[in-house]
Amino acid sequence: MKSLAGVRIADFTLHAAGPFCTHILSQLGAECIKVESSARPDIFRKPHPVYGRMGPASFDQVASNKLSVRINLKDTKGIALAKKLVGVSDLVCESFRPGVMERLGLGYAALAALKPSVVMVSVSSSGQSGPDSHFAGYAPLFGAWGALGYLTGYEDGPPVEMRHVMDHSVGMNAAMAAVAAVYRLRRTGRGGHVDVSAREVACSLVGEALLFAAAGGSPARIGNDHLRMAPHGVFRTREEDRWLTIAVRTDDEWRTLVKLIDAPHLLTDPRFQAAASRHKHRQALHGEIEHWTMTREAGEAERRLQAAGIAAHVSCNMEDIANDRHLRDRGTVVEVQDSTGRQRAALKAPIRFSKSDVGMARGTPRLGEDEDYVFGELLGLSREERQSLMDQQVIY
Amino acid sequence: MIDEAAAPPLVGVIAVEISRGVAASHAGRLLSSLGAETILVEPLEGNPLRREPPFLPPANEASALFAFLAAGKKSVTCDIETPAGRAGLSALLGAADVFIHDLRPDERASLELDEQALRAHYPKLVDVSVLPFGAVGPKAGWQAEEINLIHASGEGFLLPNGLAAELFPDRPPLKVYGHFAEYQGGVVAALGALSALIGRAQGEAESVDVSVQDATLAVGAFALQRFGDGSLEHRRTRSFKYGGVLECADGYVELLTLEERQWRGLVELMGRPDWMFDAALSDALERSRRGAEINRAIRAWALEQQTADVVARAQALGVPMAKYASPAEVLSGPHERARDLFQPVEIPGAGRLPVLSEPFHVDGAALPLKAGPPRLGEHQHMLAARRRRDQATVAAEAS
Repeated sequence: MKSLAGVRIADFTLHAAGPFCTHILSQLGAECIKVESSARPDIFRKPHPVYGRMGPASFDQVASNKLSVRINLKDTKGIALAKKLVGVSDLVCESFRPGVMERLGLGYAALAALKPSVVMVSVSSSGQSGPDSHFAGYAPLFGAWGALGYLTGYEDGPPVEMRHVMDHSVGMNAAMAAVAAVYRLRRTGRGGHVDVSAREVACSLVGEALLFAAAGGSPARIGNDHLRMAPHGVFRTREEDRWLTIAVRTDDEWRTLVKLIDAPHLLTDPRFQAAASRHKHRQALHGEIEHWTMTREAGEAERRLQAAGIAAHVSCNMEDIANDRHLRDRGTVVEVQDSTGRQRAALKAPIRFSKSDVGMARGTPRLGEDEDYVFGELLGLSREERQSLMDQQVIY
Repeated sequence: MIDEAAAPPLVGVIAVEISRGVAASHAGRLLSSLGAETILVEPLEGNPLRREPPFLPPANEASALFAFLAAGKKSVTCDIETPAGRAGLSALLGAADVFIHDLRPDERASLELDEQALRAHYPKLVDVSVLPFGAVGPKAGWQAEEINLIHASGEGFLLPNGLAAELFPDRPPLKVYGHFAEYQGGVVAALGALSALIGRAQGEAESVDVSVQDATLAVGAFALQRFGDGSLEHRRTRSFKYGGVLECADGYVELLTLEERQWRGLVELMGRPDWMFDAALSDALERSRRGAEINRAIRAWALEQQTADVVARAQALGVPMAKYASPAEVLSGPHERARDLFQPVEIPGAGRLPVLSEPFHVDGAALPLKAGPPRLGEHQHMLAARRRRDQATVAAEAS
């Protein structure tokens, strides 16, 4: 049994952030019905030359585990069909630019009039209100607007672009807020509108720095440094492009590290006695640490440091992740079969329950794959009615 | 009586939090902002995040990190190493719906807070463990801080990209500022808590195991998908072919044109220079191939631009562009003000300051922050009240 069993989603989201939200909810047990059309299919069904993909994706994580139907939202009969779908759903999720759902007659007010208990989740770059709500944006822009991009970077370098993690952070926040609204729905019968702003998600990831600035502080780019800890950083090892991260939190850990790397002179060096002084002289200190890491293989050094209780980890690439024993044992990384029959690594929703199940039951749906169930069984349309709507390019 | 139907989503929910790290603390904050009562149980010397920088000027006493994460929470102190402290905690847990913590599995057993003990004593309590690598698996006991976790989840290896990677190709990969991975862990832990609460209504309470590594990897899913497609992503090769971070006369902007109409808008924005009318450049693939050449021209043009002006003109033309806003600019942004993103609350030791609410509106408005961060033990009376109630119950049962 999954915890969100019995929750049905009419999913109008496209691209990355919104679809990630509904994908996570579907893994938690919600039945997610993805609405597209032949005229406006989601991006994973199209080639993506920027990423060297010349056809549709054979596996798309965020589209997986969803049911697929076609509804042409440019047709008034399509809107009527979409409203029928909303009528049998608990949640409506969408990620159009603010105003588009209203223009289509599918805005929150219209849907709540139709079904007062509906919970709607809107995901957009700047939110549904405010002077910038019409702005166009992608993940790197969210990070730029929200100060996360400004604050990320080498001390002497430019700001840094946030990529897909930014989209999916938005989607995860949206999923969390959606479940809060579903909790209220279940308890009180009340629906509501959740309006997620991607740029505000970026802000929420640097909430403490924004508060520091509000008090008159000047948060700035600090590369891999920490405001208190030293040593703290990403160190070269003897393997090419294989890096080791180390964070030393306490004096005890510092002494343990010095012993482990067999560098007793560091304990007597006045610059490295007190924590504050180590932090002040961190550049020199990090050079000393790298003397040791440069002679080691990253994995071996990681294991030795962890065995001594020091926070350390290899900087993983996706091959490491796909083959990681810990992630496999936890069921975080799972094997799935793509549409060509090939096995590949994918991700289960990152929550383990002691009783409830989580996970994907199916892969990426074909466009319109589930119309027998959705249009036939759920909405009760006859074969003739469906054929007629197909002939009129409403189901299209 | 509270009108539950008109109130924030989690009104009536009680969460108890024992946290040392950012992830568990963020989960408690999210539940509180959404309407729950989050009771932070602190050791006598206070939650360790109270001692983490940055500290709020000018007094430099209050931690900005703690103030942000604890806004709206209640505070009680409790030495859970002692029987009296454990009895206090027990009184709180007996009345709670959710217990969020980052206790290690070995600590939980010795404190009688392991899964079996919790289920036996508090059958309706959902407990959520939030640890760097989770409570189960070969690395369950491993130590980690933010910098380790962002690299253990794959995103660290992929940063920086774009201009910073071009300027400093030989430097070590870069973490995202602050506590990016730990915040992801917090959001996922709140999601797990809420899902389990919904599940509880249909069945029984259960335990939830969240790992910051898992949560951060989840938001990095696309890189694993690309690996399945046959591409091992690398920070030096995943930059956009053109656009990206651009230096202007007074700061930096981000430019990203993925669609044909956006490229046409860019041509207009740049004043229709001749080189952009090269017939070959009407093909998106050709533009990708000649990205470096295009970028030289865009960068030279950008250096002459003022950020506010160029962003306004770009957005009017449908060209996705944003300024890399500093924290001060975000704080004073008209859009952020219109959405009540920051709300003034009293912070002990620092005065009244605007603190970020949550990045979403519910029912057409920002979620109201109930208060600033609590003073240590400010709500100790809650503990005494719950214990009195417990003792009364025991006495009533005994008579």
